This record gives sequence, C-alpha cells and structure tokens, in this order.
Amino acid sequence: MKIDEPRRPDPDALLAEAVKAGRGRLKVFLGMAPGVGKTYEMLAQAARRKEEGVDVVVGVVETHGRRETDQLARNLEVMARRPTLHKDRTLLEFDLDSALARKPGLLLVDEYAHSNAAGSRHTKRWQDVEELLAAGINVWTTVNVQHLESLVDVVWKITGARQRETVPDSALSRADDIELVDITPDELRQRLADGKVYLPETARLAATNFFKPENLTALRELALRRMALTVDDQLVAAMRQRGVDGPWAAGERIVVLIGPGPAAGSLVRAGKRLSDMMMDAPWTVAYVERPNKPSPDVAAAASISAAFKLAEQLGGTTVVLTGDNIVGTLLEYVKRNNVTQVVVGKSRPSRWRALFGRSLVPALAEEAAGAALHIITEPGQEDDPAPKNPLQPLRQWRGHLASVFFVAIAGLISAAVDQLHQPADLAMIFLVSVLVSGLAYGFWPAVTAALVSALAYNFFFLEPRLTFYIGHATDFLTFSVFFIVAMATGWLTGRVRDQALATSRRATAITALLAASRRLSASAEKADTASALAEQLAAATGARAVVLLPKNEDIVPAAGSPDLPSLGPADLAAARWTWTHGEAAGADTGTLPNAAWTFRPLQGVRARSGVAGVDPAFMRNEENERFVTALLDQGAVALERAEFAADAADAEALRRSDKLRSALLNSVSHDLRTPLSTVLGSATTLLDYPNALDEAVKTDLLASIREEAERLNRYVGNLLDMTRLEGGGLDIRADWVDVRDVMGAALHRVSRRLGGRKVTRDFHDGLPLVNADPTLLEQAIVNILENAIAYSPDKSSIELAAYDDRNNVVLSIEDDGRGIPTAELVRVFDRFQRMEEPTDRGKGAGLGLAISKGFIEAMGGRIAAASPIHGGHGTRILISLKKAPATVTRAVAHV
Amino acid sequence: MSKERILVVDDEPQIHRFLEPALIAAGYEPARADTGRQAMAEIARKPPDAVVLDLGLPDIDGQEVLKKARAFYDGPIIVLSARDRELEKIEALDAGADDYVEKPFRVGELLARLRVAMRRQARQGEAPPPMVTAGDMVIDLKRDLVTRKGEIVRLSPKEYELLARLARADGRMLTHRDLLVSIWGPAHVEDTQYLRVFIGQLRAKLEADPAEPRHILTQPGIGYRFMADEHV
Repeated sequence: MKIDEPRRPDPDALLAEAVKAGRGRLKVFLGMAPGVGKTYEMLAQAARRKEEGVDVVVGVVETHGRRETDQLARNLEVMARRPTLHKDRTLLEFDLDSALARKPGLLLVDEYAHSNAAGSRHTKRWQDVEELLAAGINVWTTVNVQHLESLVDVVWKITGARQRETVPDSALSRADDIELVDITPDELRQRLADGKVYLPETARLAATNFFKPENLTALRELALRRMALTVDDQLVAAMRQRGVDGPWAAGERIVVLIGPGPAAGSLVRAGKRLSDMMMDAPWTVAYVERPNKPSPDVAAAASISAAFKLAEQLGGTTVVLTGDNIVGTLLEYVKRNNVTQVVVGKSRPSRWRALFGRSLVPALAEEAAGAALHIITEPGQEDDPAPKNPLQPLRQWRGHLASVFFVAIAGLISAAVDQLHQPADLAMIFLVSVLVSGLAYGFWPAVTAALVSALAYNFFFLEPRLTFYIGHATDFLTFSVFFIVAMATGWLTGRVRDQALATSRRATAITALLAASRRLSASAEKADTASALAEQLAAATGARAVVLLPKNEDIVPAAGSPDLPSLGPADLAAARWTWTHGEAAGADTGTLPNAAWTFRPLQGVRARSGVAGVDPAFMRNEENERFVTALLDQGAVALERAEFAADAADAEALRRSDKLRSALLNSVSHDLRTPLSTVLGSATTLLDYPNALDEAVKTDLLASIREEAERLNRYVGNLLDMTRLEGGGLDIRADWVDVRDVMGAALHRVSRRLGGRKVTRDFHDGLPLVNADPTLLEQAIVNILENAIAYSPDKSSIELAAYDDRNNVVLSIEDDGRGIPTAELVRVFDRFQRMEEPTDRGKGAGLGLAISKGFIEAMGGRIAAASPIHGGHGTRILISLKKAPATVTRAVAHV
Repeated sequence: MSKERILVVDDEPQIHRFLEPALIAAGYEPARADTGRQAMAEIARKPPDAVVLDLGLPDIDGQEVLKKARAFYDGPIIVLSARDRELEKIEALDAGADDYVEKPFRVGELLARLRVAMRRQARQGEAPPPMVTAGDMVIDLKRDLVTRKGEIVRLSPKEYELLARLARADGRMLTHRDLLVSIWGPAHVEDTQYLRVFIGQLRAKLEADPAEPRHILTQPGIGYRFMADEHV
C-alpha cells in the first residue's frame, strides 16, 4: 500500500456498520467478579432512562432478594418468566418469544453467559440476545470477565475454578458499548464480609478461594485490560470507517501450532489472547499432518477438529500443513507467510523422542530466526473431556473378561495334556489364548490375556506348582521368554485386529457411499431423490431418517425412512431454523436441543435444497458423523441436480408451448388474413371501379367474397373446436348413432367443394349402431373429407366405407391424392401439421385432422392413417368406434 | 403508349381472382405467377413495369425471389406482407423492395403505392431534383441549405445528412439499418437511439407540429419516410 494514497473509508468497516444498521444496540456491564454491583448499576441506569421516556422492560434480572436491587426492579416493567420443566424442577426462564413480541425500546437481560434450560430455543442466553438484537431491540446485559471464552484458561490458572458458562469473545465484541462496573478488591471483600452480597455462586466460589485478594486483583486486571481492548477496538473501527489510517498491528502475524493432544484448546486461546494484545493481528492455527505416519486415531482427529472449530469461533483461521518434519514444515510456512509470532505448546518430554529425535521446542528455538516464540506449558489436566461412548467401557470390560475365560480354557486343556507332555509345550497353548483374545477383542484384552496367561502358567505349571515362586533358573528363563512372547503376540494381534476393523469399517463406509451415490443419481425426480436419500440415511445409521423439502415458503417433510415420521412442533422449529440459517439444529446442537432429531442443511453448490433429519445418537460418533456428512453432501448435490432437471423440463415444455403458439400465430396470420384480403380486395375493387367491370366479373368477385367468408367461418369454427378440446370445454352428448347417417350428412356439407371428385360408398348392411356424439362425429368426418379434397386432384375419387369389425364399427375414408410420405405419417394428426404444397391451398390450417383425432378419442374411439394405399398414392383414414350391444341394435330395429 | 404491365406473384388463386379485374379496370395489364419459380421466369422473359410480390410463397421464399430478381431487374417491386411481420418487411426493404402493403389491403391503397413507385422509377434516369419542397420547408440539395418560411434553418452536419438522405429517397421508406449505415457507418447498425434523437431534433426545427409530423414520418419498428409535397 502506498503511504500517500488518499484515505478512503475501509469497505469492510462500512459493511460491518451497514449490517449493524437496523439492529438493536447492545450494552454490556462488565465486572471482574460476582458481587461488584453490575445488576444494580444496570437497573439504576435503566431507571434514569425510563424517566427520560424510554420504553424500558426487564426481561430477566436476578436480584437474589437484595432489597435495593429489588426496589429498583420494581419500578420497571418486569416480564413474566417462562416456566420450564427441568427434570423434577420447574425453572423460570427468560421468555424470548414474548420479548420479541413485546418489542420494547430497551430490554434488560441479566447474565449474558447464562445457559438456558433444556427445551429452550437456544442453549445460551447470548444467542437469545443475538436474536433480540437482530429484531432491532436494544439490549443491556451483564457479564463477568471470567466467563469470556478466551480467558477460561487464564481464569482457571488464576483461581483454580473452571467456568462452565462461557460467552464467545465475539459476543462481547459485538457490543456497541461496554461499561466496566469496578470496585476495588478490598471493597468487594468488605461487602462479602458484611453479608451484603448474596449469590448462589458465592458458596461454590468461596470454597475455591476465589475471593482471595490476589485472585481478585488478577481478575480486575483482566477486566480492565479487556475494557481497554474494547475501547481500542472501537477507536480503530471508527478510524477505519472514516478512512483514517490508524495504528494498525503493523505486519504482526501469529501462527499457533497444535498437536493432537488435549492441550490444543488452550493453545488456541493463547493465540487469541496474543492477537488481542497485538491489536487483532491475524492469527492462524496450524496442524502438521505427516504422510508417513499413521493417520491420527479418531480421538486425536476429533480434538484437532474441535480446536479448529474453537479457533474459527474466536476469529482465527486454520490451516493443515503436510510434511514429515514438523519443525521444517512449520518454519517453511512461517517464512512464506511472514509470520512474526509462533505459539507452541511444551509437552511433557517423551522418552522416545529424547532417544530418537529432537524435541520440538529446542529445534524451533534454534531455527525460528526472526519470529518470536511463545511456549505455552500444557496443563496436566484435560479440559472438558468429551463424553466417551458409554458402550466403550462395557465392551472393553467384556473383552477382558473373555480373555480371562480364554486363558482358563487354555489352562484346562494344558492340565489335560500335562500328563503326557513337557511344560514348555503347554506355554504354546496359553499363547493361543492370547492370540484369540487379541483377534477377538483387540489390544488391551490381549495384554490382559498375556498377563493372566503368564501368571497362570507360572502358578499351575512351573515347579513348584501352585505358587508364584520359580524354582529353577531355566524355568525363570522359560517364564520370561513366555511373558515377552505373550505380550508381543497380544500387541501384534490386537493391532492387526484394530486395523482390520478400521479398514473394514472404512470399506463398508465407502461401499455404502458408492451405493448411495448410485442410488441417488438413478433418481431424476426431486421426490424420488429425497426418498432415496432418506432410505440411504436410514440404512447407514440404522435408525430413522427424514428429508424435508421447501414448499410454499416453508419446509415440510417430503420423505422418510422407514416411513414418513410425524414431526413435533419442536422438531419442525429446529428444521426451519436449519433451513433459514443453514446451520445444524436440534438435538445435540446449540439451537433447539430439545428436538428429537438432529437437523442438517442439504447445502448444494448453488443453494440449499432441503434439510435432513437424523437420529442424534448416531451422530455422536465422529466417524459416523463424517460418513453422514458425506452422504448429505451427495444428497444435496443429487437434489440440486433433480432441481436442475425439473427446471430444464419446464424450459423444454415452455419451449414446446412457445413453438405451438408461434405455429398458431402463423396459422392465424396466414389463414385468417388470406380470406380477409380476398374479401377486402374484391369488395374495394367492386366499389372503386363500378363501371369498368362487366357483369360476369362482378358476379365472380361477389362469389369469391361469399366463398372466402365461408372459409373464414370454417377456420374460426376449427379454432373454436381446438380451443374446446384443449380447454376441456368439450361437451359430449353420446347417443346411439347410425354411422351411415352421419357420413351422409358430412358428405352433404362438403358437397359444394367436391368439384369433379367422384364419391363412392360401401356401407355394409345391418351395420350396428355406435355410441357417439353425432355432431362431433360429423365434424370429425367433415374435417377428414376436407383434407381429402384439399390433397387430391379434381376428378379423382373418394371412397367411403363402413364395416363391422368384431367389437367395433370401422369407418374408412380414402382419397386418391399424392399420399403422405411415411416420415410425415406419424405427425399427420399433430396440430398445425400441414404438408408443404396442398393441391388446393387454404383449406385449413393444419388443424382439421388434429381436431378429428381429438373428437374421436374424446368419444372413446380410435383414428389412424395409412398411406400410400394403392400404387404409391392415396391416403386412407380409419375411424374405429365401439359398436352397440346387439340388444340395443335389435331394440332400435323393432321400433 | 402501351399499357403498363404489372406482375402479381401470389400462390392464392383468390388474390388473382380480384386483382386481375382491378388492375384491368385501373388501366394496367395484369400478369400472373403462382410460384417463385414462375415469377423469376416471367420477370426474365418479359420484364414487367412493376411487380407485386407476396412474401409467403410455397416453393421459394419471397425474400429469396426478391434478392434474385434484384440482380437483373430494377423496376419497382411492392411486397405484400402481414402487419405483424416487421422483420419480414425490413428484410424486404433492405433487399431492395420499393415499398410494402400490409394484408389485408384495399385495392386503392395498393394501386396508389404502385403509382408512386412507378413515377419514382420513371424519374430515375433524370438528374436528381435540386430542390425538395415540403410544406413551408425547402431543402436545397445543391447548396446544402434548408429554409423554413423563407428563413434559413441551422442544422448540424449529421442532421442535414439525415434529412438530405430521406429527401433524396423520394418518398421511399428507408429502414433504420439503411440510415444508420449510410450516415453513421456500419459500426452503428444497432444504435437506433441516434435516429430517435436526430429525427426528433429535425422535427422540432422543421415540422409545424413536431408531435404530429406531416413530412418526416415514422413507421414504428421499420424506418422513416420523407413525404415531399408531391407525395402528400
């Protein structure tokens, strides 16, 4: 960046301001510890605001029965709490929905870090506040510095008390105003001693010496620093927004190296604090993956992904580097990215590494030229260990028991063969039990088997028997070798089994994914894809699954497996949340955790295509979760593809209807205008030259006017018929009809246009009646006759025939025209299908045969065309209509 | 003087049925062609004094007939087209048609267009008229001078160029494309807004009522026509 460049407001800063516009303002009363008087201060200020006319409402405030505080709260409007049943107790929780509905000018919500009772929309109160702000409500809240996510470790080290209720730093950074409520540590201790402070937390904290003067001093410093940081942030933000170049964190870049160990979280928080100290210098959390080392186990992968997630929450970025040499890879990254600060953890020294390699920290210290190295000592205690699968210990325990059982069997067999063989051979039998344990239950049960085998072997089979004492030096050697071999066997078989299991799990997962992919790509319709996805999810998780798709601005269950489940209101709310926010919701998540399902968005490439609900129990396992995520990704893409396909089909239908419309327009343009031109032209000729025309010409012009008017009338009639056919307005009045009558009537109607054409009739005697609408049938035949006239030369012949054919009466109309090329035959009944050069142009718009077909089929009959019929020319149209039962025909004949 | 011979090219027998007597009554000698091929043969065999050409022919597209005929025939050609076929008309005008008549038409209208086209044709050998008069405006094409009610009207070079081109067309319809290419160059074929602006300026300066122009006429979607006194 050039220094003399004119200062322009930073677009990011303006954007952040724009996002804030329309949001409510957040003010946080920050304290160093409970009892400093945050709530009192907030209420006192609120009371003043109320006097100024602000619409102040207390959403939730814990007064803990203190009189002064109570008094203050009583002068304000206090919202009713929402009773929530939690286990056997009823908790009174903040009522978020009522607050949103009440929409006050200023809402007081105490205790920002509070965790909501199960059954609330959000797990944390700060999330409630976020929603209130988004709704444009101004909120005041209180929080103690020890609840800040990035300070959890520090506070723990200072006070020894671990905070469970935390607020992400970003939730505090979002505050528009922060007010520090500060008293000296001595004052606070005095108030405690006087009993002026009653807090439920006090007892617990007091027990941990929380309120020791040195602790309070340290906490106060944290609070003051935090406050100062916020003031800095606001200053910087204001300067950036106005385009003032400020005291940036010039070129500071922080990288935090984490390993798979439990300390990763602490390291991430340390990186965040360092970044805060350096005016929000960019910071990155890095993990080095070593391709030649076995990939980290599930627990390690989980701790890394948790650390990455934490880093992103705290505003850092993450990167996975690849290289066999951790130090080299990290330094390469440091140099390439101009990193100035490196944060690493110092683990307890590993003997292995002391023997075979250099420890990380000295190696880095030696080579990290230019970058400052921050070494964080890893605490000995794991922070918040993830709850283990409850089945795990049980299964392990069962494995150990089975190992003992295998050894016992080995012992019995050994005892049986003891009479015949030397003790050294018996050891082999015990080894078999170790092998079996390892193969069946893995590493640790194999070790148990090895230990028990060694002891049992010693106890029962080494002299002196029934003691653990080993008499002979050779026996001692035998025992030692046996023990080592047993351990090695156990270790190897256990590992082999574990790896085989992992491989087969992976193979199963891959096979399932492949199958799912095939299944998902096989379905083209969105509904099919949704049900395929639900089935695959259910099959993969061994539990129920549901897929929800958008419909009328809402999201509704579209497919489920084993069947479409009925979702409760809590489930639907969680699904909607997932749909609108694109984030997981429901059971085991931070949003609406009391739902019975876990909902995940189906995020496609272009947009979100739906929401999937799965059984939360399955998702608790990291590996399962990854698998389901992969499946959901596939499902989302498949759904999106189905959407594309539907769009394409719509476009195709539209294109086809466009084509039809343009054919109709062409037809109207030509077939209406030509007769109109003739009428208008003939009429104006007669009018303009009344004296220059002789009588014969005048008569001819008048005749042509009449003919063209009739032609127009026919055409309009055809258009109307077509419209009735298309629009479903066809009114069929079926009756028993003699086809000979109808054909005769039709022939009469076209007689004037027949010219010199010769018509022959061949109607069988005793032809049965047919069930048809006489008017429609007549029109259908007229259209066919007109077509025959139009496409056949004058003086050719037209043959009409009707005959009895099993259950039908068949009408046949043949002309002796040029015939229809085979390629055209299939389209002869299509609308606006007209052959290029009719002998007598303008007898129709290509609608006639289409209408005939429409009418005949509407009456339940069939129509077909054949051409050429004799010697390369001629066309035959066949109409087949269901004939009346004999009784009807006879009854009619007797009338 | 022998009667002027008019060739009517249309595949609809009904059109011939009334045009033949109408042309005879108006003092012309009608000739008939039902297909494009027949028309080409007829024009080549004995060039008529004018051609009335329907664009919708069964064998060869009317546009094709027009283009091919223009290679060896320079007499007036009037095309018949439907009102909703702007593109068809523009294409025909650009391909060398003198004018068009929309179907359905009155016989009188067709004959009037025929007369104007044949008169223009008759003048083609002569030197172009030095002056064009239209209402109270006079365009002196020799001296590049435009006066209105005797007073000189100041026009920008482009305005004058546009006006002169329209005036020289002698009542013929000029398409947007024709005007844009000849005045602004081929790069500006699409810039019809130029025409709207310049025609508007010309009308403001020259027409008695620019909102209801009587001489510089617009055919929406197709082009412009200049009506001098003799055409009105």
